[in-house]
Amino acid sequence: MVINALTIGGGFVMLPMLQKEFVENHHWLTNQEFLDAIAIGQLTPGPLTVMNAVIGYKVSGLIGAVLAMVSSYLPCIIIVTIGAKYYYDYKESIIVKSSFKGIKPAVIGLLSAVAISLGNTALVDPLTFGIAIISFAVIVFTKTDPSFVIIGAGILGAVLL
Amino acid sequence: MKEDNITVKDIFWKFLKIGSFSFGGVYSMLAFFERELVEKAKWLTHDEFVESVAIGQMTPGPPIVNTGICIGYRLKRIKGALATTAGQSFTGTLLAILLAVFYVKSKGNVLLTSVMKGVGAAVVGLLLSIIFKMSKNTIKDLKAALFALAAFSALAVFKLNPIGLILASGILGLLVYGRRT
Repeated sequence: MVINALTIGGGFVMLPMLQKEFVENHHWLTNQEFLDAIAIGQLTPGPLTVMNAVIGYKVSGLIGAVLAMVSSYLPCIIIVTIGAKYYYDYKESIIVKSSFKGIKPAVIGLLSAVAISLGNTALVDPLTFGIAIISFAVIVFTKTDPSFVIIGAGILGAVLL
Repeated sequence: MKEDNITVKDIFWKFLKIGSFSFGGVYSMLAFFERELVEKAKWLTHDEFVESVAIGQMTPGPPIVNTGICIGYRLKRIKGALATTAGQSFTGTLLAILLAVFYVKSKGNVLLTSVMKGVGAAVVGLLLSIIFKMSKNTIKDLKAALFALAAFSALAVFKLNPIGLILASGILGLLVYGRRT
């Protein structure tokens, strides 16, 4: 089971894939447990990928959790390292340079689209709008640490929402 | 770049801090990368930061995790990549396991829900601030603005695949900018 966790951990944070693999194919988790894992992943700081640790834990305890984390990050590390290596090796070539001239602004466009879809779920009333605007202004116009913004927003949420 | 002065330990601690405070999903991590690594530590320039985000988006797997790995590689090769990964996922993993062990029913907790609502709203603001800062450095002419607008509408309106979009904009970039030089 532990070895399976290693081979299947897979690294792609594709929820449907995880769901099919763990709930439908292997019956290691119930659907409810899977949903709980997502909820925990969203609650904890850092990437949602930590939900894999929860799944690993459910399947085979602490060792499972550790293995799940290792196996979900390993492919990313390998792929990104190779990608980054080639990028930095050929960074000055005209092909890479001009492609990235198109890619960089496109990334900003993509992030803006993500911001809108996040906003659609998170900004539901004047208060949440206010919190978003204040966080934006604090980061753009002051040197405040983003952690204070997160903590402040959490406290505001607890008191007001 | 005074890369030689940066140790793997420095990288780990920085990313540990980033990973510990970035509640509310990975997009808040972008704000931390910018503040901590570009503005405070000056390990990266604005431009290198945008590059890393682009590479993170292009590679399979979670884009922001990949951005961190790419930054780590940029700073200290494979050791840096390992240090960023370990740092940015450590606290979350630990907490997740603890939550799994004690099986906290998060759905029912009203206080927690409102805290996360506040944090969720702040993350939108943080993400917008990053977009604002990136645009100032990257979108300098009409062509770049059109690239951004095209990518935005392709994702927001037509829901096209982000990796395909990045590839397409790279090819377009090659066609538009490659010829002039």
